[in-house]
Amino acid sequence: MLDFLFGQLVATHATFDVVTLSDRTTQALAEDPWLAAGYALLGLAGVGGFLSLLGMALIYVERKVAAHFQCRLGPMRVGWHGMLQSVADAIKLLLKEDIIPDRADRVLFLIAPVFSIIATTLGLILIPMSPSLQVVDLNIGVIFISAVSSFGVLGILLAGWSSNNKWSLLGAMRAGAQFISYEISVTLSLLVVTLFAGSLQLSEIVQSQQDGWWIWRGHIVGLVAFFVFLIASTAELNRPPFDLPEAESELTGGFHTEYSGLRFSFFFLAEFINMFIASALAATLFLGGWMPFHIGGLHTFNGLMDLIPPGLWFAGKTTFIIFLIMWVRWTFPRLRVDQLMRLEWKFLLPVGFINLFAAATLVITKLYFFPW
Amino acid sequence: MSYIDPKKSSRSAIEVGGVPVNIVVAPRGATGDKREGLLTIFYKSVKSLLTGMKVTIGYLVRPSTVVTQQYPENRETLKMFERFRGQLRLVKDENGYMNCNGCDFCEKACPNGSIILQDRRNSVSGKSELERYLWRLDSCTFCNACIQACPHDALEWSDGFEAAVYDRRLLVYTLNDYAGPPVNHIKRFKKKAGTPEDRVEELLATMEPRHQYGGPTPLSGKGMPGVPPLKTD
Ligand code: SF4
Ligand code: SF4
Repeated sequence: MLDFLFGQLVATHATFDVVTLSDRTTQALAEDPWLAAGYALLGLAGVGGFLSLLGMALIYVERKVAAHFQCRLGPMRVGWHGMLQSVADAIKLLLKEDIIPDRADRVLFLIAPVFSIIATTLGLILIPMSPSLQVVDLNIGVIFISAVSSFGVLGILLAGWSSNNKWSLLGAMRAGAQFISYEISVTLSLLVVTLFAGSLQLSEIVQSQQDGWWIWRGHIVGLVAFFVFLIASTAELNRPPFDLPEAESELTGGFHTEYSGLRFSFFFLAEFINMFIASALAATLFLGGWMPFHIGGLHTFNGLMDLIPPGLWFAGKTTFIIFLIMWVRWTFPRLRVDQLMRLEWKFLLPVGFINLFAAATLVITKLYFFPW
Repeated sequence: MSYIDPKKSSRSAIEVGGVPVNIVVAPRGATGDKREGLLTIFYKSVKSLLTGMKVTIGYLVRPSTVVTQQYPENRETLKMFERFRGQLRLVKDENGYMNCNGCDFCEKACPNGSIILQDRRNSVSGKSELERYLWRLDSCTFCNACIQACPHDALEWSDGFEAAVYDRRLLVYTLNDYAGPPVNHIKRFKKKAGTPEDRVEELLATMEPRHQYGGPTPLSGKGMPGVPPLKTD
């Protein structure tokens, strides 16, 4: 219809070639080892820099958004509208004394935060931010991410155990129980998209949304999977309203009660970057990742949408979901432990399973929107 | 499930001392009520969650709801809200005459003994009047009892909250800036038939200035630069 009205502006929409940083490294290895080393270094530095910069930016945004949700202004003093507040806080954290409790399990206590941050980094390298901006593109990407995110909770459990503090241990146990429960729902909704896309590779899942994003191409099933994923991953992130592992009013600080300085900042950073990863994953799986907004068949419309670079699409979608998670955090009260478990086992899990069966039916009958 | 059902509540109004009072009687739902269906519960919970989110996003998109003040940058324009209790102050009329006649009501009303009054008798009018109004901010709990007790509307709260000092003796204020007749006494004196103009002048001449820190101060009676020592009698 649009084609008819506006003429054939763009014949076919552009197809995107995915080139990851690891691909480039492998290619360059044959010709120029130095270039390969350069690419590898770029990847390492990029992930490291991205991790800390994004962490600081997210903390600043969170504080600002939270403040305005509560009729406050948030940080206003350091830099323009408090822009440099996170930098100041980071410097302060790095200069703080690193305290190890007297009867703590020293070795475990020291490596626990490292586990957390490593898990986060491993998740981050897989996120496809644009066709040319992805560090590694594993063919089992979805499985890898859910495996690696369980690694993070190992850090939390170790932290709680090794702190030799009852609050920490209680928080860690809660984190473990919460993670095991909600991981099921996350996986069930990941499986829905995997069924739709027919692939576990993140870049292929993005490519499969060329004609429309899964959240609405998969009828209501996609929508339900999206919300289940959002709720369950918020619970996995230990963010309010599911922040029982560090419930301040009950457990002081939960698993990171005894941590200070750099090690505390590892947990803190991991928590915020995990929020980014969860949002980016939700955007990638359900909202098309870096894929522009396409409607199958409308070439002109799709061509116009292609004018906006994929990186911007990804950033916009991820920002939207991050905002959604923050919005939920600053609106809802915290759940009780039994309510938390009831929500997962009695509601999300059955819904997830029914949804998965519906998705399988949908895939077999090929009843998508825009089946061409 | 038992819950309070706003739809079944009855409303009525009675008058207590001329003030209308609304009465809402909300019966609790019977404990044996039938459990709602799963879909109803789901619908209700989603609806209430969305209502909450609507409230918070309303604050986010309207910057006018922000209550934070950028103090001290906006020190010049800062306006405290109506019922703010800053510091105690004596009400003065446009001529600078105060309402307070030293009747002691506020001193008696204060639960902390934060108000200490000294009276004197005016030599011209023969009436009792205020000599010194001492207010101890250091022991005041800002309970408002003194203001409610005052029969002459002579006390009020100011907006000032910058009371931090390095010496607690500076927290004992003399609130009146003159010792002498209040505005009421002056008016009545003028109205008295056949009062010559110079008698009024004479009355006004009995006023003596009082400094904020001119009165006695605590701290074991010792003095400090600019503050005379405490007189204990
Ligand atoms: S506000 Fe209360 S405590 Fe303070 S001076 Fe008045 S009566 Fe006393
Ligand atoms: S302030 Fe009011 S109550 Fe207190 S002495 Fe003066 S007139 Fe009386």
